[in-house]
Amino acid sequence: MDKETTQRIKVAEAAANKYIENQRFTISSLSKELKMKPETIYSLFPNRSSILRYYYTSRVLICRDQNQSIDDYDNFSLSEKLSNFFLTLIDLFGDKREFVLATYKEFVVCSVTRNKFEPEFKDEIRNIFLSDDKIATSSRIFFNSILWHAIYLQFHVLIKFWKEDESRNYENTMALIDKWSTFTEELFYNKVLDKGFDFGKFLFYRSPLGKCAMERGSEQRPSV
Amino acid sequence: MSSEDFPSTKYERGKIFAKTGLKVGSNYAAHYLKSLSGGSSDKSDVHRKTAGEVFSEFVKLRGTALKIAQSFSVDQGFLPDEFSEVMTKAQYSVPPINRSLVRSIIRRELGGYPEQIFSSFNADSIAAASIGQVHKATLKDGRKAAIKIQYPGVKDTISSDIALARTLFKRLVSDKSVIDEYVDEIRLTLIDETDYTKEGESINRFHRRFTNEEVTTPEWIPEYSTERVLTMTYIDGVHLDDFLSTDPSQEKKNHYGQLLWNFFHRQVEDHEEIHADTHPGNFLFTPDGKLGVIDFGCVKSFPEEFFMDYLRLLPTHLVRDESEIKALYKKLGILKDDPENSKKENQFYQFCINYGYAFAMPYLNDTFDFGDPEYRNMIRQFTKKAPVSNEPRGNKHFIYSTRVHLGLYHFLMRLGAEVATTESKKIVDNVLSAKTSV
Repeated sequence: MDKETTQRIKVAEAAANKYIENQRFTISSLSKELKMKPETIYSLFPNRSSILRYYYTSRVLICRDQNQSIDDYDNFSLSEKLSNFFLTLIDLFGDKREFVLATYKEFVVCSVTRNKFEPEFKDEIRNIFLSDDKIATSSRIFFNSILWHAIYLQFHVLIKFWKEDESRNYENTMALIDKWSTFTEELFYNKVLDKGFDFGKFLFYRSPLGKCAMERGSEQRPSV
Repeated sequence: MSSEDFPSTKYERGKIFAKTGLKVGSNYAAHYLKSLSGGSSDKSDVHRKTAGEVFSEFVKLRGTALKIAQSFSVDQGFLPDEFSEVMTKAQYSVPPINRSLVRSIIRRELGGYPEQIFSSFNADSIAAASIGQVHKATLKDGRKAAIKIQYPGVKDTISSDIALARTLFKRLVSDKSVIDEYVDEIRLTLIDETDYTKEGESINRFHRRFTNEEVTTPEWIPEYSTERVLTMTYIDGVHLDDFLSTDPSQEKKNHYGQLLWNFFHRQVEDHEEIHADTHPGNFLFTPDGKLGVIDFGCVKSFPEEFFMDYLRLLPTHLVRDESEIKALYKKLGILKDDPENSKKENQFYQFCINYGYAFAMPYLNDTFDFGDPEYRNMIRQFTKKAPVSNEPRGNKHFIYSTRVHLGLYHFLMRLGAEVATTESKKIVDNVLSAKTSV
């Protein structure tokens, strides 16, 4: 993580704390807290709102950074990678739970301005899916923006669940993430469609229609 | 690494119980039909197949059901050999927790990810317990540690599993009122096992009592422990099956068998608390020739009166004092009436007097060979011919006292050890005479 990103994260985290103390905090009070000149903060962010929004974006960056320190991360299964991403985000959100519960809807779900959390989140999900070579070939046809968006929406539901979770250390949220990721893995690793396609192909080429198609294909093939 | 879903809802878990029942039924039905139609079907194959299927379903449930599986494998005599063989796997292997979940549990419980708070942490578990799994780690101060991590939500599933079991048992037994007492005893023990802080305290108590030249036990590391994560010092060693696979000499088998026998009797001697989970997964044979005792989730303090009556059965059986034997079994709730007055009571009495004698046999002479196939067969025959009825008998504390005692004998029989029993006889006599003199 470069120096500027680290500094931006530091400012965003301090701003999240300030927000809980006083929703109308000023950049000047934040600069005092951080012992940083207001100009420096303005060189990193255009305004107060963008600092608070960056808190969310930066959580994805921290997740990515942490993945590098996980032993054998590249060999994690799809469910392990997905649950790692979700659990780490929830762990990070948990550090500023009050802030997240107060602002998630405003800054993430219903954000009117372009929110960078969404593209970063979807990017991470896309990378997880694309880098997994155990996913069935037929499942790859679902790799598109609709899938990434569907998972992004599911994450919103998860945050709602976490908000209402009264179990010790949010154990039920952990269990939900574990179950969801295992189920997702089961869906995407399932080779039923691959095998079904193979079986269908076999039957098709042995049917009259298939034979006809093969004959036509060989007639049209240019002679060498 | 495959991650297994942990079925935590009552519906999912009930479905697994039902599915297992169906599989068992269909396997035996298939065997029966095959034999009727003249086809050859080896019953041992059916047992093995059924056991494999029951095991694979039960391990998904972890917690309560796995405890049941473990009990089956300890009380081997009640099951066909092929069944016990497969079920014994329950001592060691349950599906691992997803590695990401392990990291997150540690972070939530201990305040940092494994790579942040430990010098090294092995993400693959080294052992799976019924309600958690164990990882090896090195602390920042260089100490090697075993970190036990509990599956999330396991405490809640115990209550729902017990409720299911209670309903099932109540349908099977004639006297429904007694079931609650047994079931509550199991429920409270299992709930206790989910509090790793309590286990940590037990670890310390046992460490103070037993760490000596014969036995080694871990030390609790409270600063890395919570209700759901338990950190203790790591003990190097091998489990029973791994030890046996090295084709050890009889001398070595006798050595470790003696250590376990002595450990059991040292607990009898001070009868403060008993390690009540005598299954092979909880013991290690260390390279320096000690017995490692590693799991203290299930420790029991029996009421003094029950403990003494239970212990008194041993010498009473050896001298075959029938009137005292009857009186003890009545007091312990096994006999409801004089055997002379009822055919049923007599059936129970005949079983108890013979089985009890077989259990007291190791105390007859100065040494006893648990490897004797005749003795093993005798114990097995008794358990197979137990007067199983739909009427549960005996004090609720029998659940765990029998588990300890049967567990010890089965462990020693599997090990094939010959043990010296002179010292242990003295211990039993001393404990009983001390009580009598008081």
